[in-house]
Amino acid sequence: MKHFRYYLFVIIFSISLSIEGKTENQIVADLSQENVKISTNFLGAKILLFGAYDGKPGDDIIVIVTGRKGLVTVQKKEKKFGMWVNTKKINYINTPKYLSISSNRPLKEILDENTQKSSQIGLNFLNIRTQPGSKILNNENWREALTRNMIISKLWSVNENSVILNKNALFRSYLNLPSNVTVGKFEVKILHYRSGKLISTEKSTINVSKSGFSAQIYNIAQNYSTLYGIFAVLLAVLIGWGTNLIFRKV
Amino acid sequence: MFYYNYTNNKENSMYIYLPIAEQPIHSLAILGVGTFLGLIMGLVGVGGGFLLTPILMFLGIPPPVAVASVANQLVAPSVSGVLSHWKRSNVDFKMGTVLLVGGVIGSSIGVILFNFLGKIGQLDFVIKSSYVIFLSLIGTLMLYESLRLILRKRKGKVSRGKLHQHNWLHGLPFKTRFRKSKLYISILLPILIGVIVGILAAIMGVGGGFIIVPAMIYLLGMPTSLVVGTSLFQIIFVAANTTILQASQNQTVDIVLATILLLGSVVGVQIGAKFTNIIKGEYLRLILSAIIILVSLKLLADLITVPSDYFSIIIHR
Repeated sequence: MKHFRYYLFVIIFSISLSIEGKTENQIVADLSQENVKISTNFLGAKILLFGAYDGKPGDDIIVIVTGRKGLVTVQKKEKKFGMWVNTKKINYINTPKYLSISSNRPLKEILDENTQKSSQIGLNFLNIRTQPGSKILNNENWREALTRNMIISKLWSVNENSVILNKNALFRSYLNLPSNVTVGKFEVKILHYRSGKLISTEKSTINVSKSGFSAQIYNIAQNYSTLYGIFAVLLAVLIGWGTNLIFRKV
Repeated sequence: MFYYNYTNNKENSMYIYLPIAEQPIHSLAILGVGTFLGLIMGLVGVGGGFLLTPILMFLGIPPPVAVASVANQLVAPSVSGVLSHWKRSNVDFKMGTVLLVGGVIGSSIGVILFNFLGKIGQLDFVIKSSYVIFLSLIGTLMLYESLRLILRKRKGKVSRGKLHQHNWLHGLPFKTRFRKSKLYISILLPILIGVIVGILAAIMGVGGGFIIVPAMIYLLGMPTSLVVGTSLFQIIFVAANTTILQASQNQTVDIVLATILLLGSVVGVQIGAKFTNIIKGEYLRLILSAIIILVSLKLLADLITVPSDYFSIIIHR
């Protein structure tokens, strides 16, 4: 039943196509889940993105999901007194804390490099800036390190061949959010290309938020931090005292 | 700040999402670690804090969260321990209070230092390198002591040394009488010991028992019977102060992690205490010292081996 909406959509869409004929250059899309709740049993989320596009043979679909942007620090270790210590760092501002680029075939085949650069499609073509005042000028290695480490942490990904096209009209793709995602609004952009030219786009959002017990704890720890600390201590005192009472009688 | 861990294989409902560490962890693993450490505490009498923090770091918990949450969990077994020692009248509350004054000052300094080190990006290094130094030191001393004791017992003689020696430390001003401990010493000495232990407690997430116990015996010259109860008494307050300050300054106390750990450890302590008469103490210490040395070697290896990637990232909240 998880993908009920998907099947319903497919049926309705095919009916509407046959009745009204095609509207020009449009994409419609929906998500199996628009709100992702991070609760105590959160292990990541797998979301189905599905929709229809007005396509011809050879058309391409690229799906870009971008999370909240912000500060990410890259540190470099150097050998000091025989030990490896972080000595230098670069702060990258405006860095997406989650990014996934999915497509129906390799990006290189869909777009030439100039288009990739100008439309910022590809992990190395993002408009990420170093914080003003950064002393390290030749930072190509650092930028590569950022990409490499974001991929290792599963926060950035390129999933070529993961968008499935069907009869030049339907597409679907699974979006994977790892368990370490940061909360916020995730922007989903669906791009429809015909021989390397963008002909239509569609946008959607996924809301990732903490919920339930773990959200409450997180919020209390952030907003009432001293009280939270006192409570944590009192709880520990109570449990320590309680076990003493229990085991004394045993 | 938010650190990520590399282990990401989980398809299991036994995982619990830690709200402050911001990652899922196997709940039985944490419960098991807590129980194991509690067992050691109950059997050997020293706190498991100095082993717990490195183990949590090995499990992928960010070092700042590990340190702060261990401080929180330490409160419970210390309370439990003080209560049982109090019943046997093994706590010198006057000495404990003097020590804890120093401890509270020290742990406050420690949390400020902790915050500063985090800002300049050297926190992980300082935590790990202080562990390498202290664990290798304690491990070696324990190994030496237990081997010496085992060899002596084999030879069939157990000699007792002098209780304590008088040195320049006993000439400091502000002398006070500690009736329970039968001591007349300067109040500055226990305060200073408290401060040093407090700083270490805040930075390393330890109760400091492994430093304060020898300090009380060899530097203050307290009777051994009072040492454990009194040190636990002061550890409660140092750990509590560290927890509250870490929570308010750095928001690194994970109450879920701490609670699971302490549930395991309080049970472990009681089980361990029941077995102390069955297993010989010196053999236990021998095993424990081997574990400690192994942990310190692992941490040392992390610091000196060439990293697979010179670069690492911190994703700020």
